[in-house]
Amino acid sequence: MAEERPGAWFGFGFCGFGQALGSGRERRVLSPEPLRAPGAGLDVYRVSASWSYTAFVSRGGRLELAGAAGGAAGGCRDAWASEALLVLLRAGPGPETGAELQAWAPGSELRGEPLWVHTVEAGAEGDDGPGGKPQAGPLPLLPCARAYVSPRPPFYRPLAPGLRARRLELGAEHALLLDEAGQVFSWGGGRHGQLGHGTLEAELEPRPLEALQGLPMAEVAAGGWHSVSVSETGDVYIWGWNESGQLALPTRSLAEDGKTVAGEAAGLHEGGPDVKSTAGREDGAPTPFIAVQPFPALLDLPRGSEAVKASCGSRHTAVVTRTGELYTWGWGKYGQLGHKDTSSWDRPCRVEYFVEKQLQVRAVSCGPWNTYAYAVEQEKS
Amino acid sequence: MAEDINRDPLAGTGALWEALLALLPRTKEELKLDLSEKVERSVVMLLQEATELFYGGRRSECLQTSEAVLDYSWEKLNTGPWQDVDKDWRRVYAFGCLLKAACLCEASEDATTVAAALKICDMGLLMGAAILGDILIKVAAILQTHLLSRKRPAQGPTQEQPSTKKARNEHVSIPDMKSERTVPRLHCPSLQYFRKHFLVPERPVILEGVADHWPCMKKWSLEYIQEVAGCRTVPVEVGSRYTDEEWSQTLMTVNEFISKYIVDEPRDVGYLAQHQLFDQIPELKQDISIPDYCCLGDGEEDEITINAWFGPQGTVSPLHQDPQQNLLVQVIGRKYIRLYSPQESEALYPHDTHLLHNTSQVGVRGTQCDMADSPPPHPVSGDQNSILENPFPWGCSLGGCAVEG
Repeated sequence: MAEERPGAWFGFGFCGFGQALGSGRERRVLSPEPLRAPGAGLDVYRVSASWSYTAFVSRGGRLELAGAAGGAAGGCRDAWASEALLVLLRAGPGPETGAELQAWAPGSELRGEPLWVHTVEAGAEGDDGPGGKPQAGPLPLLPCARAYVSPRPPFYRPLAPGLRARRLELGAEHALLLDEAGQVFSWGGGRHGQLGHGTLEAELEPRPLEALQGLPMAEVAAGGWHSVSVSETGDVYIWGWNESGQLALPTRSLAEDGKTVAGEAAGLHEGGPDVKSTAGREDGAPTPFIAVQPFPALLDLPRGSEAVKASCGSRHTAVVTRTGELYTWGWGKYGQLGHKDTSSWDRPCRVEYFVEKQLQVRAVSCGPWNTYAYAVEQEKS
Repeated sequence: MAEDINRDPLAGTGALWEALLALLPRTKEELKLDLSEKVERSVVMLLQEATELFYGGRRSECLQTSEAVLDYSWEKLNTGPWQDVDKDWRRVYAFGCLLKAACLCEASEDATTVAAALKICDMGLLMGAAILGDILIKVAAILQTHLLSRKRPAQGPTQEQPSTKKARNEHVSIPDMKSERTVPRLHCPSLQYFRKHFLVPERPVILEGVADHWPCMKKWSLEYIQEVAGCRTVPVEVGSRYTDEEWSQTLMTVNEFISKYIVDEPRDVGYLAQHQLFDQIPELKQDISIPDYCCLGDGEEDEITINAWFGPQGTVSPLHQDPQQNLLVQVIGRKYIRLYSPQESEALYPHDTHLLHNTSQVGVRGTQCDMADSPPPHPVSGDQNSILENPFPWGCSLGGCAVEG
């Protein structure tokens, strides 16, 4: 993210614990607001948000926490926040020693001792990104890419030797892995179709998604019970639970509130067995609601936009396009979609705030019920 | 809303609110959450904050906070298989429901609000776990009484009172049954006889005369059920069989269920199936008993679960194997039941069933089986008053012939 233009982080959604989202006076922020302290004033490059607190890591290695967990620390290269554990990647004590993985209880304020410590071997780091910034394949994947961190025991989980992991994301019950060749793997619980193998079965070991084989992926993101992957050519594939429209497919709950656009082709190309052929529109015929999509569906973003980044909350999805727009959809009750209200959406909706302010979004990071976006000023032409 | 600083923060108007207050602990210190470490610290903080707001009379803030507690615990209830969900998360959910329902009733006592509060109590009973001495049951009873005592206005366009309409009771053809393979019928056998000849050798039997004097046999009718439980929210299965693609589960009030799926030529099949209705609505539990034969089973007495099935004619439960020994009591209507013995199970093959459902609290119904080259089943037609004993591991397929209770 080496940018010449100044950029800043914005946040919206649930802040019931005081998580530095803009004004944060109410329990939720419905439209993007610039971060307030401690997020503001830091040159933040990593935001990791759990439900009740958020961790900010600056390029200078400073970590700040906001919300139900407080505290600050230096020498941090990466952080990963969960309700059970705060995991930090910190520089080792000396130049030869590798980085140290530390797990802290969120309530500890980073005082005292971590719950456990694991040394990551020196020199076994991922490729540095442009500008020499460490791209230690963000947590929960460890820099060595041989293992990852879990919020539940066992906390340190090795990956099979054959896997060359580039990126790993954890949902409530499942895990997604993107390897060096752009292949997506998934494992864990599958009762909501979040594994993408076409069934509701659990998988104990990483299993490649056959439906995506041959399509090199650039990004994966895991929500509570849904999964997203973005191809190198900017296509979005999405699967899992759609109870709030987080797959951008028509969902019954929103139709009952009158908010779905069921009947329009919401961009669903790959019909799975759950796409009910009893199609319907306002003529009274039943509508093809989709509760669960058990293998990947291709999603068309409006205006033919190409996606470059994706992130998911528990029940919502956010995607950044090549032209710097941010689209969000899914559960919106806490303002996490940033559309100035609390509606949920079962189709992609652009966050107009950034367009109005002439900002280009470059990165997005979702907490369970909120969204953080990094944006730069638009080039003046 | 300006509040007089000398005014008791919990003072409200109306008899309903007084009745609710009387059920709740008097102060926030007396409201013991009693949650284990499994529940994350942040959630406990939020729940404590909600109770403080409640006892401080800050109702709208309490509502917001309770809502967040509900939403978060709902996510926990939906993580992993239902039977693995920690009971304390369900209790958190129940606390959220309690506070939310109470806050709603403090604001208003009109029928719409009270019905909404009752629905929330029911969600707490369906998805939550017991808190504060089963307080949600007591709250629900008060709310239901309050709704009944007023002249009930239409609760919505789909909820008209169907009290004068009777259920269909047409003659339906009963499948032919060869007498040598039908299940034997006995009148009130002794416990020892039952145990020796049926329970231990795992043979099915129909017991007659055992439930004759249960109040439900005389009292239960559509009108009675609606009066006692009409406004309560229950889970309903929609679709002919739960192995069908079109099958789904949803929640609705008993009134809605009856008007939509029992009376008046329903378009779809709706079935209130395998639901622990009597735990949710104790008034109905008083109309039934637990047969003495149940104490002969393995396991403790408090492991006995009582489920209810309530549906129109034409409901089908596909062939399955129940994980427990059970007694089936037919209160209203008739059921056609086919049983397959364990020796015949080689001709039956189980298949994977995965229930696509939006509510998480319904567990898998035993192991479903298909029939290959149908070995002759052991048919039994259960009439009113008869009890069928179905030993595990006999396979069982049920078809409802008429309105059942």
